[in-house]
Amino acid sequence: MPPLSTRFKEALAGSFRSLSAVLPMLFAVIGLVGLFQTTVTPQMLHSLFSGAPLQDTLIGTLVGGISVGQPFFSYIIGGELLKEGISLYAVTAFILAWVTLGVVQLPLEWALFGSRFTIVRNLLSLLFALLVAWATAATLGVFL
Amino acid sequence: MKTEQTPKPANRSGWIMLAITLLLYGVTLFLDPSLAGSALYKSLGVLKMIAPILLLVFFLMALLNTFIKPKSIAKHLGKESGLKGWFFALAGGVLSHGPGYIWYPMLSELRDHGARDGLIVAFFYARAIKLPWLPVMVGYFGIAFTLVLTFYILLGAWIQGMIADRMNPKSTYTE
Repeated sequence: MPPLSTRFKEALAGSFRSLSAVLPMLFAVIGLVGLFQTTVTPQMLHSLFSGAPLQDTLIGTLVGGISVGQPFFSYIIGGELLKEGISLYAVTAFILAWVTLGVVQLPLEWALFGSRFTIVRNLLSLLFALLVAWATAATLGVFL
Repeated sequence: MKTEQTPKPANRSGWIMLAITLLLYGVTLFLDPSLAGSALYKSLGVLKMIAPILLLVFFLMALLNTFIKPKSIAKHLGKESGLKGWFFALAGGVLSHGPGYIWYPMLSELRDHGARDGLIVAFFYARAIKLPWLPVMVGYFGIAFTLVLTFYILLGAWIQGMIADRMNPKSTYTE
């Protein structure tokens, strides 16, 4: 077996090659995140909710799924929505979809993990945004 | 899910995506230069934020490849990993910082070396627990909501991992 230093140097070179291969896609994702955060404001997201629990839950999941940004943005928007009477079910689904789904990073996930993995993982995340939101709201006794 | 093998490297599709993104910036610049400047500024902010984590991922990948053999990864994160595998996946997801896409290259390598899909799916979902932001969540929604949601996220991550494994029982390392 080659000495440790040689193995580490080879591993560094391997890591560099792996990361270099994904850098164009990574830069593309970062560029799209900047564009999204500039063009889609929290106020715009906020205005999509109507007050109807079931409709809001679906809207929350979809809006959360396409949104990008720090998780605390979803907490702030979610907190404000809750104050305005939007159901906890919808707000929880919105927060979960925000942190578990990501349309912007889909191409990178697709390229590295393949189409089947990406589709299954994202569909599961979408479904579980609804299930976990329901379970949370039900457990807290404020279901719909 | 691994039966359809990973189409790496992501060079070609990456360059296409980058070209599309640059085109979008070009169109935005033409329509509203200040908006394009603001978007670029935000993107640079994101890049600045993720740079240290990217460096960490780079060294983690090198360390993994130096000290941990594929067979060992298959043992700890593969089909026979059992509870230990779930623990590593869930704890890793909770403790990993920064946007999820930074961790894609490392997870993809682990997967190629034998980590099973279910554990990677569980890792991704457990990332919904954002430790540094939990105080903010408590502030907005209360401690009960935060605890209940955290519990269900972990449970959901585990169940999703199980489903992913069931959907692809061949997701194991074979030499």
